[in-house]
Amino acid sequence: MHRFFPYTLLFIVVTLLQTFLFDNLSISVYFNPLIYIVFLLLLPLDTPSIGLLGAGLLLGLTMDYTMGAAGVNIIATLPVAFLRPWIVDLFVNRDEIREGGIPSTSRMGTRKFIEYLIVTTLLHHVIFFSFEALSWNHVSQTVLRIIVSTVVTIGFSWLIARFFTAKLPVRV
Amino acid sequence: MHKLIEFIRSIYVFVLFVLLEIVAVSYYANSTHYTQARLIARSNQVVGGLHGLLANMQRYFLLGEENRQLLTQVAELREQLSHYEEAKMVAGFNTTLAQIGGSKLRVLNAAVISNSLTRPENFIVLNRGNGEGVVPDMAVLAADGSMVGYVVDCTERYAVAISILNTSFRASGKLADSDYFGSIYWDGTDPEFVTLDELSKYAEPQAGQEVVSTGFSTYFPAGVRIGTVESAELNETRTAYKVRVRLSASMSRLSNVLLVENLDLYNIRDLMNSEQVQQHSRQKK
Repeated sequence: MHRFFPYTLLFIVVTLLQTFLFDNLSISVYFNPLIYIVFLLLLPLDTPSIGLLGAGLLLGLTMDYTMGAAGVNIIATLPVAFLRPWIVDLFVNRDEIREGGIPSTSRMGTRKFIEYLIVTTLLHHVIFFSFEALSWNHVSQTVLRIIVSTVVTIGFSWLIARFFTAKLPVRV
Repeated sequence: MHKLIEFIRSIYVFVLFVLLEIVAVSYYANSTHYTQARLIARSNQVVGGLHGLLANMQRYFLLGEENRQLLTQVAELREQLSHYEEAKMVAGFNTTLAQIGGSKLRVLNAAVISNSLTRPENFIVLNRGNGEGVVPDMAVLAADGSMVGYVVDCTERYAVAISILNTSFRASGKLADSDYFGSIYWDGTDPEFVTLDELSKYAEPQAGQEVVSTGFSTYFPAGVRIGTVESAELNETRTAYKVRVRLSASMSRLSNVLLVENLDLYNIRDLMNSEQVQQHSRQKK
């Protein structure tokens, strides 16, 4: 449980940002970034699957509670948490994963890190918004929501990741 | 046996994931807007304080606008009051009161703590709860008296109302100067427009015509402003109009609202559920 404190701080910061800033920005129906997911993405590379799943459950529960959503956040965070080891595997080789450390640009390279953000964020947002809409009536609207929100989330995830790794060494 | 334990150990994360996901999906599938409102009401006991602080700061910047609105309202009310005073002078106080009778509406005011617009299911959190006499099913009206939503659940200090911008919201509305009515709902796209559906093809809605509530819904009193007709089109079977209605309440700048309780509501509900009425509805089936 090294770096327990920085990750606790990150968890608190992203949930507060999501609840009090991004959930209150009523800019457009299409603009719904779910930036809290960045917490799952920045967990150490060598986090065991069960730890990821627990973190996903905790994050989903917290966001469901503050948003008053009946489970849709958990539905979306759990698959991201469960599939993260395989997604990381696509971008980082085995030895590096075993070494641990924070997923970041210096660890993975800028391009791969962005690709990693895109894959995970898109997975999360597709599940979230499909379950929230739960109908085929406004498919084009849902798709547009997913695209706009994913782009915004990736932008803010990038910023948060930069802040988070600014002071911490990315290798253990 | 040893092999079985090894096997379970290798897939227990997957099993756990599937189990949790099933629980979450089934809970979500069984949720209604009532469960959501209840959840918001509960979580608001924790995060409500901070939300309230932010809402207060926001309200501060809207004070000027609000003052102007209040002044125009005061002017209007003064004018109405003068009519009553005239009537009082003419007919005498007692007879006028006897004609008006006891009011069947109870009105409270409340401030908006949080109000979402961008989700398919939007809710409004208000700073008054059952401690101050708020009860579920009260109508929520904007400060100028136009339709905003109705209260779904409340705690001691807060109330949660379903917004007119919620795809589960239903009300009945009609054109202001005719008796043709239809159902009001939001299609989840534009927070400035709602739909008035199933309006009779004889109604001939014109752009700019006012849309108000009928007295059929037990939540809203009759004649509450909903909005104005933006455009209308006949449906595929050419039997009814589907009208796009521009909301008169500016949902994105909602800060103070009125809560209206229909005191006859419980009477009407009791009647509908009474033995006699139930028997007749059974016979119909």
